[in-house]
Amino acid sequence: MGSRASTLLREEEIEEIKKETGFSHSQITRLYSRFTSLDKGENGTLSREDFQRIPELAINPLGDRIINAFFPEGEDQVNFRGFMRTLAHFRPIEDNEKNKDPTASEPLNSRNNKLRFAFRLYDLDRDDKISRDELLQVLRMMVGVNISDEQLGSIADRTIQEADQNGDNSISFNEFIKVLEKVDVEQKMSIRFLH
Amino acid sequence: MCRWQWDVGLVILLLMSNARPACGGGTAADALNGTQRQWNGTERTPFQHDHANNSKKTFPVLSFNYDHVRTHFQISLWILLAFLMKLGLQLIPRLSSIVPESCLLIVVGLLVGLVIQVVGEEPPVLDSEFFFLCLLPPIILDAGYFLPLRPFMENLGTILMFAVLGTLWNAFFVGGLLYGVCQVDSAHLAGVDLLACLLFGSMVSAVDPVAVLAVFEEIHINELLFILVFGESLLNDAVTVVLYHLLEEYAGVGSVSAQDVGLGVLSFLVVSLGGVLVGAIFGVMAAFTSRFTLHNRVIEPLFVFLYSYMAYLSAEVFHLSGIMALIACGATMHPYVEANVSHKSHTTIKYFLKMWSSVSETLIFIFLGVSTVAGPHLWNWTFVTVTILLCLVARVLGVVGLTFIINKFRVIKLTTKDQFIVAYGGLRGAIAFSLGFLLKKEHFPMRNLFLTAIITLIFFTVFVQGMTIRPLVDLLAVKRKQGSKHSINEEIHTQVLDHLLTGVAHVCGQYGHHHWRDKLTRLDKQYVKKWLIAGERSEEPQLIAFYRTLAVNQALELLESGGDMLPSAGPSTNSLETLKSKIQENDQSLARISKQRKEEIRRILRMTLQNTEQKLHSYSQHTQDEAWTLQILHRKQAEMGRKISIFLADAAKLQVSPVQRRARLASGELRETASSPLTVDQCISTFFEPRHIFNIEKIPLRTTNQKCYKMTLCKPSNDKIVSQFIYTHSV
Repeated sequence: MGSRASTLLREEEIEEIKKETGFSHSQITRLYSRFTSLDKGENGTLSREDFQRIPELAINPLGDRIINAFFPEGEDQVNFRGFMRTLAHFRPIEDNEKNKDPTASEPLNSRNNKLRFAFRLYDLDRDDKISRDELLQVLRMMVGVNISDEQLGSIADRTIQEADQNGDNSISFNEFIKVLEKVDVEQKMSIRFLH
Repeated sequence: MCRWQWDVGLVILLLMSNARPACGGGTAADALNGTQRQWNGTERTPFQHDHANNSKKTFPVLSFNYDHVRTHFQISLWILLAFLMKLGLQLIPRLSSIVPESCLLIVVGLLVGLVIQVVGEEPPVLDSEFFFLCLLPPIILDAGYFLPLRPFMENLGTILMFAVLGTLWNAFFVGGLLYGVCQVDSAHLAGVDLLACLLFGSMVSAVDPVAVLAVFEEIHINELLFILVFGESLLNDAVTVVLYHLLEEYAGVGSVSAQDVGLGVLSFLVVSLGGVLVGAIFGVMAAFTSRFTLHNRVIEPLFVFLYSYMAYLSAEVFHLSGIMALIACGATMHPYVEANVSHKSHTTIKYFLKMWSSVSETLIFIFLGVSTVAGPHLWNWTFVTVTILLCLVARVLGVVGLTFIINKFRVIKLTTKDQFIVAYGGLRGAIAFSLGFLLKKEHFPMRNLFLTAIITLIFFTVFVQGMTIRPLVDLLAVKRKQGSKHSINEEIHTQVLDHLLTGVAHVCGQYGHHHWRDKLTRLDKQYVKKWLIAGERSEEPQLIAFYRTLAVNQALELLESGGDMLPSAGPSTNSLETLKSKIQENDQSLARISKQRKEEIRRILRMTLQNTEQKLHSYSQHTQDEAWTLQILHRKQAEMGRKISIFLADAAKLQVSPVQRRARLASGELRETASSPLTVDQCISTFFEPRHIFNIEKIPLRTTNQKCYKMTLCKPSNDKIVSQFIYTHSV
């Protein structure tokens, strides 16, 4: 019981998170209670096992990659700030934010940042390119085991061929953006967080 | 020009056919009576003459008997006339870009009606039964079958709010205030009581799907707005049905109790959910039936049409919402039927639906024009102007108010521009007119007043709003429709994003619409698809199915556009030159390219040589984004051309040394045939046998300035080698 006190959220922290991510006060507290409910070890951070305990993530084809996306480079624990920072990408874009000071850094939930998050799902080695193998891995995760390698290979080839413009046989971030310009990314990558 | 003369000639012919029988009144019944008099007693065919008269008449070589084909002749002539008019209108260059087609057709109808009336005949009126049972279903089925289900479901909450609450608000606002006006102007309008006004309000409040489709299609607005307005026009049918029947029942009595209102609400739930249920049941039956049509491909489209029509009629039997039944039926059966039917049936279904809905739409608008002339009218300036004004005001207030509430729950909020388009796009159409026409004169003495007002309102919305919406959309720079999705990239990335969002939503502990959509897809995959889709396709992931459709479509397009992809094509020779040099560089890459090439060509050939009669014309009411299609097509062509030409470049350079050509027959004996070197054509004709599987191996030779390939052709069934060729490649 006593150790619980240290995991309570302080007001200043809430303010900081609010400024960084744009979530409202009630949203932050609600997500904090979710964070603590996931945190079985009660040490203020989440490990990969904590995520894997969520049953629906286990049946999600991209479950592992999603879990990976929460953890910063090379680390095995994520604290609440990091958790919120990742979730901030999925906040809906609001109109009033578009009129903000243009010299300020881009908010985490801008279209560009959302796309970059999605790009990182594919690009595991962080070389800023989706290679054919990386694409094949994701395709394999999504279609299951019954499809032959050849078929997947031809799909991957076709995909790269469609998107690739500079001929390097891989999809760069700019090509990725170009391909998705017709997709309403703001809607597809936004979750309505409950207050 | 001559087209107009032709049209005028047809109109005259139509009039003649109307006026034909000598009996007064000119109805088919009278004509029938007339001829029946001749047939009394003995049975006679229409071709026999009266033998009671014994004097010998000369045998008629050519006779005229119009009466027994009269009705059919008239109907066919009307439809033919309608479409010739439609063609003729398109000849006038600038007109169709300024005025939407629906307006032009109404004007044509007006003219035809005027001509008929001037001649002295009675113009035909748009019979409500004909409208609801024959003209409306094809349009709704076409809309339902091709309904973009994903945006519809994502915006379902918004659409329902607009459809139910918006229509109710419109009906009561217009009806109530109209009653107030009638009380004020009691000179002419005293006979209109509250319930009649509310009934009138319910008739004019519903946004009409036919009018919305006709106008919105031409302006190519973005998908969200289209689905909002169109979805609303479809779903408000339940509200209209319930309100109309409720008020019609009790308008005679004169009062409505609270109990009736309660029953009305219950009835609304029954009507809408019942309609959807009936439609879904028929949709599942249709999908199930299509599973077994493997050997009877020709009748596949029939099932789609018949089950849908039965769904509509069954719903109408129980006074459920026929439109919602039809939409549910079409949307339910669509994914499963598409997976089961052949490519030709898919094209047939698409074409027939588009054709019938086009016929219906044209006829509806023309008849609307003709019925206006037919009348009977009772014009009252106050009533009509107040109606139009109130409808506009009610629509704007309703949309703004509802959006305010809705935006609290939406991820992507509706902007003011969106709200304006939604409000402005609320067009009324023929459904309102038909509902008015159904009123019985005995119960509703002011029926003509209502009809006139309804027609004026329809004209106003279709003409004024229909014509001005296009420049307004340009002025306000509303987002336009983005061209259809045919990119595998978009499909893959969309699926990845779906999984991502579902996962993140689960991490946050939110079980919102991502969770339910995911769950539904999973259930569908595990249980439903197994029942409703035939064969191995039931287990195919969506991505693979999408890719296959894409590949087939592309192969067909390739076949259509460039049969000259093979040997002597101009474009390929350029790539030939550049590639000759590339080939001579690298051994390894050549062997590797061989395998890839072989795979590629095998795949192309299997697809293209299947059935060369299959033609693919993407025909849709929405024009495709031409530039994008062409760009992809050219890129594909270039790629295929390059690949094929690499292979053929080799073939052209190859010489077959006669000694080395061996043919191993099925019996196993080896026979050496000394023959002349194969020409390129012979190579091609041998290679392009789709039945054969061929393998290419590179054989190392001691002499280093020659490369040798062994090509084996095998029968696919038993892997028996049909023939083997060994080629030397001269450097």
